[in-house]
Amino acid sequence: MATDNQQGAFETNRDAEIKRGPLETWVGKVIKNPKRAYRSMFYVATVFFLVTTLFPFYWLLVLALTPNNLISNMGLLPKGFNPGVFVTMFERVPFHLYMFNSFVLGLTTTVIVLLLASLAGYVFGRLRFPGRTFLMLAILAISYFPPAAFFLPLFQLFTGGTNLVLGPITVSSPDLFNTPAPMVLPFSALFMPLSIFILTTFYGQIPDGLEDAARVEGTTRLGALFRVIIPLSAPGVATAGVLTFISVYNEFFFSFLMNNGEASSWAPIVAGILKYQGQFDTPYNLMAAASIVGVLPVAILVIVAQERIVSGLTAGALKE
Amino acid sequence: MATEQDSGDTLRDSSRSGPYVSAVRWMESLSETQFAYFLLSPALLILLLIALYPLIQTFGYSLFADQLTGSSRLGEFVGLQNYVALFTGARDFALPSAFLPGFSSSFPFVTGIYSSALMVTLIFTVVSVLFETILGFVQALVLDQDFRGRRWVRVAIIIPWAVPIVIQGMIWYLMFQPNIGFLIGTQQNPTFLNTLGLSFTPLRNTADSLFLIIVADVWKTTAFMALLILAGLQSIDRSLYDVARVSGATNWQQFKMITFPLILPTVLVAMLFRTIGAMRVYGIIETMGGCTTVPSLSCLVVTTFNNSMYATSATVAFVTAALIGIVVSVYLVKFADAEEGF
Repeated sequence: MATDNQQGAFETNRDAEIKRGPLETWVGKVIKNPKRAYRSMFYVATVFFLVTTLFPFYWLLVLALTPNNLISNMGLLPKGFNPGVFVTMFERVPFHLYMFNSFVLGLTTTVIVLLLASLAGYVFGRLRFPGRTFLMLAILAISYFPPAAFFLPLFQLFTGGTNLVLGPITVSSPDLFNTPAPMVLPFSALFMPLSIFILTTFYGQIPDGLEDAARVEGTTRLGALFRVIIPLSAPGVATAGVLTFISVYNEFFFSFLMNNGEASSWAPIVAGILKYQGQFDTPYNLMAAASIVGVLPVAILVIVAQERIVSGLTAGALKE
Repeated sequence: MATEQDSGDTLRDSSRSGPYVSAVRWMESLSETQFAYFLLSPALLILLLIALYPLIQTFGYSLFADQLTGSSRLGEFVGLQNYVALFTGARDFALPSAFLPGFSSSFPFVTGIYSSALMVTLIFTVVSVLFETILGFVQALVLDQDFRGRRWVRVAIIIPWAVPIVIQGMIWYLMFQPNIGFLIGTQQNPTFLNTLGLSFTPLRNTADSLFLIIVADVWKTTAFMALLILAGLQSIDRSLYDVARVSGATNWQQFKMITFPLILPTVLVAMLFRTIGAMRVYGIIETMGGCTTVPSLSCLVVTTFNNSMYATSATVAFVTAALIGIVVSVYLVKFADAEEGF
């Protein structure tokens, strides 16, 4: 009886092994060992995220390499191979000038932000004084407001429509439209709070003894900041700088509205990309090529500085 | 830097003089509080000029009537009438897109949702933040694992976050233009997405554009969510899991009893940041569908501004800022509660 049963079980087992397809075999193994299920869920999720994040870039490449007259009902592969598009795009729109403007705006803002945020970060991170908490909250609150809430008065201010009262004299504000100032100043104000919080954290971590030692040696307080504290917090300064630059390069609102869209008026890549939309045609391949070229600087920055970006985003955001 | 070197020496060498030396001496004579405010002054000055002054001025403009003709930008003082007109719908006829949806007493009670700037912004915010949170959580769980190539997977996930908004818009515009891709077909040759209900010119249709703009936003900003949640995950004390495993807790129980409650405050902060960002939405709309197709609040500020309705524009701008203020305070109260709970 007992042997019979065993025999039967053995047979059904063998029977099952023959009939099972690969999926069923896998399910059987998973039931025995749930770790495999987690492992495969993990692989599925990873592949899903890689495909969804990277596919749009691949699509740009497909469109860029296909000659524009062939772009219709595109499949997953380019119809043709036209690398010359990366030359044509600069002939149609001076995209290099727009890129240059973006770089200048980004670097200028980064320098201003790093300088002012360094002073503020030093104050918030290392000094105790009345009003400290209130000021930090106020700076945080400012970074919450939408650019649209600042736009009208700033537009008026920068186009010379605001009267400035300086004692007995009233002068109208200088017309700065189509110069870098109406973009750099709002960028600095908008992106400074994040840098202040990042640098406050970093500067606060430098041991007091090091600053005291520098002071005993005879440096001023500012000298200690620039020669001891900032060099020791180099990773923090780099983080704040990278994040500020990327934010400016990404910005749309003021970049779009505070200039007339010409490369000679310091318009950044926002205007450059939008300029490809022609009156008589829509050169999809040039648009795609320009997008690829425009993404390259930040993509490289992300690859080189990913650790800094990750630590900066999390430190800055989770500070509160 | 040479001048900095000087300052170190001059402190001891009191015989030297000059404007620089006296400036240094003056700075060293300040008390800690004075010195703090002195160093803060440039940052505060720029924030006052570029943020606080415009904010107050925006509110000021919103108290005047629109002046569509003549040289002056604003009409007479009308107090809060602009706000009243905006919230009762009396201003809608003059706006490029309505502010509020229509209301009716019968089902579905609210009409014209997609032509209302307020509703479009709220729908965009709620849906995109919801999906970003869920997907961001999954991404964070993936990145929390140890595996070969983790660094590159992380780069791939972060890159969309760094893509300029105008290029993000261009990418999704190029994917959903009719006829050029495999995603959108024609009447004779509908694609999978068309059979699901997407129209053949999705970027001209408000509901479809809104949906695609949400997808584009989720694509770009999920990474931000994932990084914040990942930081939260990695700050959890690993020994808690060992204790749980020894006591025989299943993976699901570990997640429910340890991971979730400890990660909740981080998730709330991340959601707060994303909500604030989402309520400002403008650039992606302008590049993908255009402000006439998907009228968000920021869009309405710009379109009324372009129509020289400066007071109305200021009113909408201030309402947007106030809405964000409300969201922030609700979150902060919730967050304080969540913190107390643990």
